[in-house]
Amino acid sequence: MSKQKNESAPSPGDRQDQGYVDYFVILGLSEHAKPGDVRKAYKRKMKDLVSEIGQAELTEERRSHYLLEMAKLNAALYILRDPGLRDSYWEERKALVELESQWRRAEEGGSEEADTLRRQYDSRIRSFLARYMEELVLEAGRDKECVEASGWDEAHERHASRLLRNYRQSMYQQILERLPYFDLTPISFDWEERKNKVRSLLEKAPH
Amino acid sequence: MASKRAPEQQHHPVDPEETAAAFARAIHDGDIVNFRLLFQPFSPAREDSMESFDTAKYDYLLPDSEMEADPRYQEYLEKVKEPANWEHIQQELAANRPARMPAELVLLLADRAVELGKYTSASLAYEQLRIRQRMQEEFLALADDKLREGDVKTGVRGYLIGTGLEYNYSAFPEPLPAVHNFQTQALILHGRYPQKTEDCVGMLPPEAHLRRAFEFLLGSADVAARLDEYSLETRLAFFRELVYARDPEWDTFAARMKEAVEMAREMQRRINELMGAGDGTYDGLVEEISAELGDDPRAISAKLLGDDPGAPREWWQYLKDLGYRSPPAVLFVARQFVGNSEIIVPRYVLDSPVAQAAGIDLPRPKS
Repeated sequence: MSKQKNESAPSPGDRQDQGYVDYFVILGLSEHAKPGDVRKAYKRKMKDLVSEIGQAELTEERRSHYLLEMAKLNAALYILRDPGLRDSYWEERKALVELESQWRRAEEGGSEEADTLRRQYDSRIRSFLARYMEELVLEAGRDKECVEASGWDEAHERHASRLLRNYRQSMYQQILERLPYFDLTPISFDWEERKNKVRSLLEKAPH
Repeated sequence: MASKRAPEQQHHPVDPEETAAAFARAIHDGDIVNFRLLFQPFSPAREDSMESFDTAKYDYLLPDSEMEADPRYQEYLEKVKEPANWEHIQQELAANRPARMPAELVLLLADRAVELGKYTSASLAYEQLRIRQRMQEEFLALADDKLREGDVKTGVRGYLIGTGLEYNYSAFPEPLPAVHNFQTQALILHGRYPQKTEDCVGMLPPEAHLRRAFEFLLGSADVAARLDEYSLETRLAFFRELVYARDPEWDTFAARMKEAVEMAREMQRRINELMGAGDGTYDGLVEEISAELGDDPRAISAKLLGDDPGAPREWWQYLKDLGYRSPPAVLFVARQFVGNSEIIVPRYVLDSPVAQAAGIDLPRPKS
């Protein structure tokens, strides 16, 4: 899936993903999209992706990238076409966004609640990412409709489980990096000074 | 059942000088584990803890007289005692909640850890500061600049730091610094028995051999791929530096390797003779060669390790030890069946540029 196509998608492109995977954005849909729209968008995106894969020269890196894109599309269909799953996903996501704001407010206000909220948030974000960015993604790969459209098989799953674990962790890390420091005092970095430090460390470091 | 009464909180006076000295020592040692420990509920730096710096259990946290005389230690001590840092430390040690560590000191510690080559500690500290990836990229980018300038030694150092700061996000239950595990990686590298000579890593063409070597010695295929842009000459020079970085005793190994090559040649000659004279089967060959040579072929594997032949071991035991003691060595060996026994033997293109770079090149035998 090319970035350009993502950007030209309708309104959801304006919405911020904020690291909490947004399957509506992945399919280029609004959160009010009907299951029929979900299927249509999925088929269109998957067709584009498969044709892009067919034309690309596959390196190890590109193969992993395409596999991840395919897995995300499968998960988007699997989660959004099922009203129950879709509602619980969207509710959990909204609750998480709200919890992050609450924690930020408590942190900025120096409230004693901040640490409790931070712990709650940390536990929820981990289980959210584990469920919606790993567990259900792998489950989607076994779904008949997804298998038909993407040709997903056991070999894909084996490779994807490692990729998804790393992807989940890197998303967690991305989120963590924009959050307030909670185990350290706040600090900002002068990267010019850091580059000089790297230079001097490289001269001094032992072999 | 009568409920137990919580023991009364005991307070013991803590000498602030000792606390400051313990923090300064942790920074001087580049030791993030000890630095964190000082903030833990059981820390001897806390008045409400049962532990004390004066016991044998925790006195290692304090500097010895030699360290106290070190100007770097004094510099860190001053930094710890700076009013902003010191007040923060005292406030956190008095509070009954998870402590917030002073970021400025953690950064100082992380940089010191890099200086000392303690990359695991450095990556933990940078990760906590949320700059690990960026720092890793900075080291690698600067290393690339150095390589382009022809400064291979510094370039290799940059790559070693860069890969030393790698993190394993899939570690369970928490991501952790990635550590080199050459003894296990060596087994994976030789996991499949080579059916053909070309299957042996040492028999690969120089370009492929180097790529495999970088992946193995740097522990990252992505980082190894960065080296593809350089000329073969630069990569060979890089490889030579990297070999010595991974095994400072490489010259001793290289001498043993050459002896092992001679032993392997002699073994091959004997095998050919015995096979020609016998019924063409391999059964009992080890014993026959043993009797002929007065030596077990497994002595070749022991020679590579620099061990007394002693009790023969399995091939994988030799390989694992070799990977641990001299990681680059496993790039020049292969598994080989001799009769029913499998051994580790030197196997590489004797006059290849890679062998030359490693200083283990030998003239090819006359056919």
